[in-house]
Amino acid sequence: MIGPGLALFGALLTLLAAVGVVRFPDVLARMHALTKASTVGMVLALVGAAITLDHPNDVTSLLLAAALQVLTLPVGANLLSRATFRAQQEARGGVTGDSQDPVL
Amino acid sequence: MTAAAFVLLALAACGFGYRLVFGPSLTDRVLGVDGLIVVGVCSLAVRAMQTGEGAFLPVAVVATLVGFVGTGIVARFIEGSGQ
Repeated sequence: MIGPGLALFGALLTLLAAVGVVRFPDVLARMHALTKASTVGMVLALVGAAITLDHPNDVTSLLLAAALQVLTLPVGANLLSRATFRAQQEARGGVTGDSQDPVL
Repeated sequence: MTAAAFVLLALAACGFGYRLVFGPSLTDRVLGVDGLIVVGVCSLAVRAMQTGEGAFLPVAVVATLVGFVGTGIVARFIEGSGQ
């Protein structure tokens, strides 16, 4: 009972991420919506399945997938957002006085 | 309850597919692909919960890793091309 409930909540969070990706006005805002909601949603669905299933192979695969998602998705989002920011900066023509200029 | 989760995941896949097709920049299309990978892994987990059989679950691990590598490579490409 608790496993399918967690999976349903995870699916709801993934749907919220999709709504944010469709509706938000800016590229970086869309990336924000996807990374926050879909990380939590996917981990909730995987943990719900790991609670429901019995076999150790299945539980190991699910928990490994959840751990890899938590480890790799922020790194990938950081790479992608930094590349997007730099590309936008070049398209605007070099230094723009943005507060993130010395950082990125 | 798993059927309701499938309905929500299908609606989410429609949203990510819209962003993949109509996204104005390359980053938007990468976001669409990432979201579709997330939907696929979630539906694998829900399907395994529904049937009680976890033969497809290693695919979830592989899809997670492939999505990360693809995102990193496209990020390098965007940084080089200045798009």
